[in-house]
Amino acid sequence: MPRTLSPGILLTRTTVAAALLVLVMFGCSLIGPQSISLKAVAAGPTSLTGPNPDYEIFLHVRIPRILLAALVGAALGSSGVIFQALLRNPLADPYILGISSGAGLGTMLAVIGGFGWTLWGRSPIAVFAFIGALGTVWLVWGIGRLTGKYHVAGLLLAGVVVNAFFSALIMFLASIAKSQQIHATMFWLMGNMMEEDFLVLWVGAGCIVAGIVALFLLSSQLNIISVGHHDAKSIGVPVGRIEFAAFAISAFITAVAVSLSGLIGFVGLIIPHAIRLLFGPDHRQLLPLSGLAGAIFLVVADTIARTIVAPAQLPVGVITAMVGGPFFLILLVRYSRKVYWLA
Amino acid sequence: MRKWWLLSALLVLWLASGYVMLEPREANVRPGVRCSQQPLRIVSLAPNLTEILFALGLGENVSGLTQDSDYPPAALAKPKVGTFWQPSIEAVIAAKPDLVVTLALEQQKELARRLGRMGYRCLTVDIEKTDDLFQAISAIGDAAGAKEQARELSERIRTEIHRLQAATAAMPKTKVLWVVQREPLRVAGRDTFINEMIELAGGENAIGPTLHKYPSIGAEQVIAAGPEVIIEPVMVRASPGQQHGQVSSYWRRYANVPAVTHGRIYVVDDDVVSRPGPRLPAGVALVAKCLRPELFGE
Amino acid sequence: MTAVIQAEHISFRYGPDQPVLQDISFPVQTGTFLAIAGPNGVGKSTLLNILAGLLQPQSGEVLLEGMSLRSCKVQDRARRIAVVQQESVPVFAFSVAETVLMARTPYFGRLGFESETDRELVRQALELTGTAGFAARPLGSLSAGERQRVFIARALAQDTPILLLDEPTSFLDLKHQVRIYDLLKSIQLERHTTIVAVTHDINLAAQYCDEALLLYPRGGRPAEYPHFRIGKTADILTPEEIERAFDVRIISGVVGNERFLIPLGARAKDSDSAGRAG
Repeated sequence: MPRTLSPGILLTRTTVAAALLVLVMFGCSLIGPQSISLKAVAAGPTSLTGPNPDYEIFLHVRIPRILLAALVGAALGSSGVIFQALLRNPLADPYILGISSGAGLGTMLAVIGGFGWTLWGRSPIAVFAFIGALGTVWLVWGIGRLTGKYHVAGLLLAGVVVNAFFSALIMFLASIAKSQQIHATMFWLMGNMMEEDFLVLWVGAGCIVAGIVALFLLSSQLNIISVGHHDAKSIGVPVGRIEFAAFAISAFITAVAVSLSGLIGFVGLIIPHAIRLLFGPDHRQLLPLSGLAGAIFLVVADTIARTIVAPAQLPVGVITAMVGGPFFLILLVRYSRKVYWLA
Repeated sequence: MRKWWLLSALLVLWLASGYVMLEPREANVRPGVRCSQQPLRIVSLAPNLTEILFALGLGENVSGLTQDSDYPPAALAKPKVGTFWQPSIEAVIAAKPDLVVTLALEQQKELARRLGRMGYRCLTVDIEKTDDLFQAISAIGDAAGAKEQARELSERIRTEIHRLQAATAAMPKTKVLWVVQREPLRVAGRDTFINEMIELAGGENAIGPTLHKYPSIGAEQVIAAGPEVIIEPVMVRASPGQQHGQVSSYWRRYANVPAVTHGRIYVVDDDVVSRPGPRLPAGVALVAKCLRPELFGE
Repeated sequence: MTAVIQAEHISFRYGPDQPVLQDISFPVQTGTFLAIAGPNGVGKSTLLNILAGLLQPQSGEVLLEGMSLRSCKVQDRARRIAVVQQESVPVFAFSVAETVLMARTPYFGRLGFESETDRELVRQALELTGTAGFAARPLGSLSAGERQRVFIARALAQDTPILLLDEPTSFLDLKHQVRIYDLLKSIQLERHTTIVAVTHDINLAAQYCDEALLLYPRGGRPAEYPHFRIGKTADILTPEEIERAFDVRIISGVVGNERFLIPLGARAKDSDSAGRAG
């Protein structure tokens, strides 16, 4: 029998990818608008003339930001895999079921309502983005179920409708709100990486990593579910339960990612594609590798975004689109002989 | 089933331990090893803040400012820390500031928060109206150890403004339309700093109270407002004659508006009138000259 | 012989004015090879899906070893019944081996990986269906017939006592049609598997199946005629009944013990041979 995925192969590949991630993260932490040197960083927090700027920049500006990029990239890469599997569509991305417009609406309401709540020091914008994203995706799921329990097309349509409706709401709110607040909100929504304090990163890391591990435990069942729900049922997989769990966990980690960094597109769409082209569609491998690849990709993209037009910064989403698109095209052309897409 | 319980338990443990270890404490202002003889290093994140600092005699202390801080000329030589819209935190840190002065814009407040968490001393001032300006000058003076200079600066500005105000106090108010953007047409509303300047200069905003501070308006409202004077601030240092030509040709379509009929459309230097700062009297004087050229001379 | 599956008063409709099955009851004897035959649209696939528990009838129920199928958990049902549907190409490019391995999903370990037993069952299934030769290729690169065999292999890997198939040989050439039926027959006899197959080929059914369930179309039938008939293939797949069910003229003959049935249309070469031969 030909080789299928084994725990050994998976462990090897995951370890290599993780090592690569650590390397990239470390390398990128030394790149930025200000040039810093490792020697100066190692000198410690204070220097003769006051705080050591190299140390400050490295530890309190670069490292948190890179950690954040890695977390968000991992979340988006992983949830992209799951949404593509559940919707049986390689063109799905984590925002397709209303998360993007939900987050936008949430932030709009936060800004307009002037709510000042903070959660663990996170600004109200982030909290409301999280609530908006999660609430909307449940709304879409609920509407989609009305069209039939396993009706994927219904779910997609519900997502399209809700996205359109909420986008209109957002535009309405934007037109009656004070212009300065709106600018800030729009800019935030476009996707940005800010250095967060370590508690936020800790909590975010816990949620996202736990979510990815949970999704990994569902991966073997997602394989057969991605083939068809009748196939899955007749093989003995409790489709409704597994789909619900996978959907809930993916929606959750995506909402966490959005609340951390706004909407960064392309990662959840092309990373799963690229990994699938290189390593095949087995979700037990696709999921962890997409998570790690998403992390690497976003760390690199963010590094480019904050250095290429320094001291100004580009929104990360610009880089992910501009880098991701052509890269994926090349991959597709080279490996397309291995793949047979269409049903 | 067991694996799920295990995972949940691990997550809860992780979150709890994180909260215990990393709970946000009030960051102490960095004690630093700074020798007291060393001059205070100040970073300014907005052009008007820069002008205030220089006006307080603290020009020497400024170790970083934003790219758009271009006045006074001495500012051009200072290290840059991004723009006031997008300040660069790394550049600010590299400037080794003892004090960072920011405006109350969302990005700048966020930056101040982050710097504060790292132990840097930050002062955020919100300059929306003229009163705010005096408060800001005083706050900056306090923070930078220049209280006396701050008081003097405020006095000077106040005196100048009162003088200008008194000159036109008894006269009927001129209706002014202040255009910030031509296509689509946006004007300064009543709830702005610009409106204050107009009133100080003896004018009145042709637009009534609006929902937005800088509303976009249509042709109807322009005609209904019937302004006697139209002022457009421009940033480009192109020849004023050329600017004026463009402006006039645009406004020709509003032939039945008093300002257009009498040719009272003025183009002014944006930097002077849009920065609430030490040049406020100069800005008010500029506006007054547009409103009453006969009184304030050419 | 006991009935491992008992269908009781099954009625199903797709919409308020689209009734498909009306009050169908029949037993499926343990270890039998039952063919379900009938014209298009009469509800063969629907009936199979109801037997598999993938569709719920509006009235009536299916008993699996005496217990209502509806109340069975999905996992328990999958241990007893494996289903082979019409072949299809999944969206994602799984290989043949990966596809057949998916049948063992409920038996995977804690982290979702297969054991040696699972791999052995997959190996056997690939051998039996002749698909081991291209086991590493993605499904999309195979012909429809090869894919059909892969799905049969997947059902075999499930290792169940009951096998339901929906037109398992519709895309296969003669050699593979015979191969598959030989395979199914040997599985039935060696493992005592109960097999129910929806089929268009009444001759293969006559040669391989023990029993047949013939479904009659709704319209153009006198009221006293039944919706269906079930019994031994020799009794059910008779020229008269086939003619009645399929609305074609049949020429029949005998090979050895079993009949063959050939439909002849008006323009067939031997259309003027009326009546039956042999």
